[in-house]
Amino acid sequence: MGSQVASSPVQDSYRPPNGMIIRTEDLWKTYDMGEVAVHALSGVTFHIDRGEYVAIMGPSGSGKSTLMNLIGCLDTPTSGHYWLNGRLVSELTDDELAHIRNKEIGFVFQTFNLLARATALHNVELPLIYSGTPAEERLERAKEALRVVELGERMYHKPNELSGGQRQRVAIARALVNNPSIILADEPTGNLDSATGMEIMNLLDRLHQTGNTIVLVTHEFDVAARALRVIGIRDGKVDRDERMR
Amino acid sequence: MAVSRQAEGFLRRARRKPHAHSNLWVTAREAFFIALETLRTHKLRTFLTLLGVVIATTTLIVVMSVINGMNLYIADHIANLGANVFVLSQFQWAQGDEAWLKARRRNKPIRMDDYEFLKANLKGCKSIGALGGVWPRPSARYQSHTIDEISLQGVTASMIDIGSQQIEYGRFISEADERHSAPVCFIGQDLVKEFFPNVDPLGKEIYISGQPFEVIGVAKTIGTTFGQSQDNFAFLPLTTFKKDFLGRPGINVSIQAWNAKQMPLLEDEVRVLMRVRHHLSYREDDDFGINASETIMGLWQRLTGSIFAVTIAVVAVFMVVGGIVIMNIMLASVTERTHEIGIRKSLGARRRDILTQFVIEAALMAALGGALGILLAGLISAIVNHFFASSVPLSAILVGLTLSTIVGLFFGIYPASKAARLDPIEALRTEN
Repeated sequence: MGSQVASSPVQDSYRPPNGMIIRTEDLWKTYDMGEVAVHALSGVTFHIDRGEYVAIMGPSGSGKSTLMNLIGCLDTPTSGHYWLNGRLVSELTDDELAHIRNKEIGFVFQTFNLLARATALHNVELPLIYSGTPAEERLERAKEALRVVELGERMYHKPNELSGGQRQRVAIARALVNNPSIILADEPTGNLDSATGMEIMNLLDRLHQTGNTIVLVTHEFDVAARALRVIGIRDGKVDRDERMR
Repeated sequence: MAVSRQAEGFLRRARRKPHAHSNLWVTAREAFFIALETLRTHKLRTFLTLLGVVIATTTLIVVMSVINGMNLYIADHIANLGANVFVLSQFQWAQGDEAWLKARRRNKPIRMDDYEFLKANLKGCKSIGALGGVWPRPSARYQSHTIDEISLQGVTASMIDIGSQQIEYGRFISEADERHSAPVCFIGQDLVKEFFPNVDPLGKEIYISGQPFEVIGVAKTIGTTFGQSQDNFAFLPLTTFKKDFLGRPGINVSIQAWNAKQMPLLEDEVRVLMRVRHHLSYREDDDFGINASETIMGLWQRLTGSIFAVTIAVVAVFMVVGGIVIMNIMLASVTERTHEIGIRKSLGARRRDILTQFVIEAALMAALGGALGILLAGLISAIVNHFFASSVPLSAILVGLTLSTIVGLFFGIYPASKAARLDPIEALRTEN
């Protein structure tokens, strides 16, 4: 298997041999609280293939936020290994992690996390700015991403001129714009009413159908039910991993 | 497993190659627009923040402008003895108090015969002239009009070549006037305006200190120096002057060289001649003064040098204060925008992207302060120029802008590096 990869052209090397996009191996995250060490994660091992639609579920305090930060390359584990798209990212420096976040991960946050003073278009442009994309191409791709989430008409509105659902769609456009390996959505419907939440979930479904890998972090069953696979986290460990359909 | 590890190592190296992620120019441009936007949204805060830098830049440029203006002015109006001219006088100008007190005891006045002696023995000069003045200033009268004080000088005919006066009409004092101690005068424009507004002054008789003199010529307008008119004068033949006005017995001798290169040679020649004439031994100092334009400029430059040193100290203090205020507001700005920094980091901003953003913001802010300072200084300089002399040199503008930008850069580094080092998770969690 390995020799196959080694002989394949560099371009193909972006695709791991088994289509595995996330692989974690015995991830530990320990917070040192003076006297006691708190284990937020104690040995998490799983993998996610390209094109999957996975929900990571767990009650608050289960360690799912910590796991999300690790998967999102916002943080590094205390011990263990994490490969993202074939690259061992658990031992990278801050700036290398920033690079990975920029290229491989599209974040969708519960609180949208848009820049309040910038237009929708500029918000979507941001990842491209940090990847050094030239202005023209940047504008073109940002507009395209906004059209995908059906906000082509509202590109020049600022977040406070948009509804909650529209804001989340801007955030999704921003997550899409750099063609990331995974879209990592953290409670994407948490701040929305159920109808709008449904809309956003439909959008994520559609993105999954067009080939995106989606990792959803949630504590709501009906949101998790939209995914094809659920990984349950409890007390810092994987306590179930099942395919729904 | 081992094989796949190997593969992963390979993949890792392969992935690392295409490093299109280091286009700092794109992020710097973004930073520039963010900075503009921030300054625009916080106009008052920005303005208050910048006061220190504005005052520092204004002070620096105003002082530079006034000194520059005065330099030009003094070179033009005061130190302008004429081209390649130096003056032999009783005392050396612009010397220290102690030297002057000593000179006062031993220096002899320069007399008419000294002038005659030099004129006879100094062969190489272009021209040589003598002039004497009187103090207090006498009054002048024509019919019912009186000017209380005029500058009265006795001159030799050759002074027309050496001094800064030019003939408007009529003629200058001639050698014949000198020989005969003729009661004639050459007058400045102020006298013409007062006495002869609608009349041809030539041939008219004016009274200076009660004595009549015939007007033979009128000088071109010179202008004012420090608000003092330079046209309020009358020249008499030196011989007439000596006869009628017993002021200070001393005169000054003006000597003009052919060119700048000849100046020091000629000065030495005069020095040797005078020392021989005064029987000075080689151990003794000169008991007369030889003054050139440089003497006056030198004095002025020593004075402006100390003014400038003080200014630099004051500006440095202002700049540091201004810089600290900028640092303070940038620290506040970093705290205020922690969440924004978190968002940017989650989207792939590296430390240096955030660093660039805040350093550029600080530098832009300070540069804006510098620009405001330059505008303000230009305004003040224009007003000062009405009463005094002031002219903003280009170097001052460059120095002002560069200095303020550097201050912004320097004091922006600490807040910016603080922002750059923020943990993305913590930053995202911060609500503001």
